[in-house]
Amino acid sequence: MYTTIRSIHLLLASFSLPFLVMYGVSAVQMSHNSWFQMKPTVQERDLPLAPGQTDGRAIARDVMDRERTIKGEISNVQTSAATVSMRIVVPGTVHEVKYNAASGIAHVKTSVAGVMGMLNRLHHWAGFYREPLSAKVWALAVAIVSTALLLVGATGIYMWFTRRPERRIGLALLTINVVFAVTIMVMLRRGAP
Amino acid sequence: MRNLVLKLHIYAGLLTFTQLMIYGFAGLAATAQTAAERPKVPHTIRHTTFTPPPSVPDKEIADAVYRELKLPLTRPMPLFAIKRNADNDLQLDFYNINGIYRVVVLERENRLRIEEIRNSLAIFLEDMHATTMNDPEAPRLLRIWAFYNELAMWCLLTFVVSGLYLWLSAQARTWWAWGSFAAGTMTFAVLWMAFR
Repeated sequence: MYTTIRSIHLLLASFSLPFLVMYGVSAVQMSHNSWFQMKPTVQERDLPLAPGQTDGRAIARDVMDRERTIKGEISNVQTSAATVSMRIVVPGTVHEVKYNAASGIAHVKTSVAGVMGMLNRLHHWAGFYREPLSAKVWALAVAIVSTALLLVGATGIYMWFTRRPERRIGLALLTINVVFAVTIMVMLRRGAP
Repeated sequence: MRNLVLKLHIYAGLLTFTQLMIYGFAGLAATAQTAAERPKVPHTIRHTTFTPPPSVPDKEIADAVYRELKLPLTRPMPLFAIKRNADNDLQLDFYNINGIYRVVVLERENRLRIEEIRNSLAIFLEDMHATTMNDPEAPRLLRIWAFYNELAMWCLLTFVVSGLYLWLSAQARTWWAWGSFAAGTMTFAVLWMAFR
């Protein structure tokens, strides 16, 4: 039994390792933002499209068709009489598009995050509703790693409990953690000041 | 040395066990979301009398509402967050870990409408996992939680390093563990490149 549980623990943890590094390092970045340089690389250019368009999605499609490096999820679509603006986003890269209906020129400002910025964006990226296909595959990986984290915890508890030398101190630490965390969570959920 | 690292791995895990479970649940909750926007359906709606002081700016009204209602786990409304709704009434969204208290100042009726938009348990856990020490104005209870979250974050990195050491220093290093590690790394690398 122990060998099987240990194997499951190892199997799940070894698969999840790069993702856990990403989550851990980006969590440090978010908690201590001033420790890191997060300036993205910015590039701007104009793309000539057909004038007179009003549909943000059609404009985004046109932009992506004309420049194949631009891809991602369409968000923040804003329309006015003269302009249509939107964002085309994949983790770490944001294309801000501002389309002028009179001239048909789409001004594209592309911001590419550095490694830390990319880790930050990946940390926040989840959910199968996202586009494109790579984002859905990422969502699947997040689901697998999240489940793995729960199972790694559960198998870890089992393996610890089978070890007599660490049982007493471990039980004290686990009790402190569970009592503390559950108390705080219940108080917060109930809206205690 | 190996025994010491093993103890560190075990004790760090037990000391932050609940947080690690919350991280796992938060990942699953984020996976289950169907849109970036969170649901904002009021859980309860109530009214209370309130006479706004005359000839004062919106910020002072917002502060007066905050003092009057003493809504739990909220903080004073920053100027940039003050807005008006479609009926041109002052709308104050007091964000908190459980959702939003949306207070509409009905000046012509001399009362307040208080809508409680309550997050689901899944979103609550997501927000708990994201609480950091970056917010010194957060309620005290949240700051205490953030402190423990910070500890759990460092412990997570400790598990990764100590777990890797324990695996590589073990006598029985199985091929399937290497295969699993390669599969995880390949998946991560391919997706990273796809996004770039």
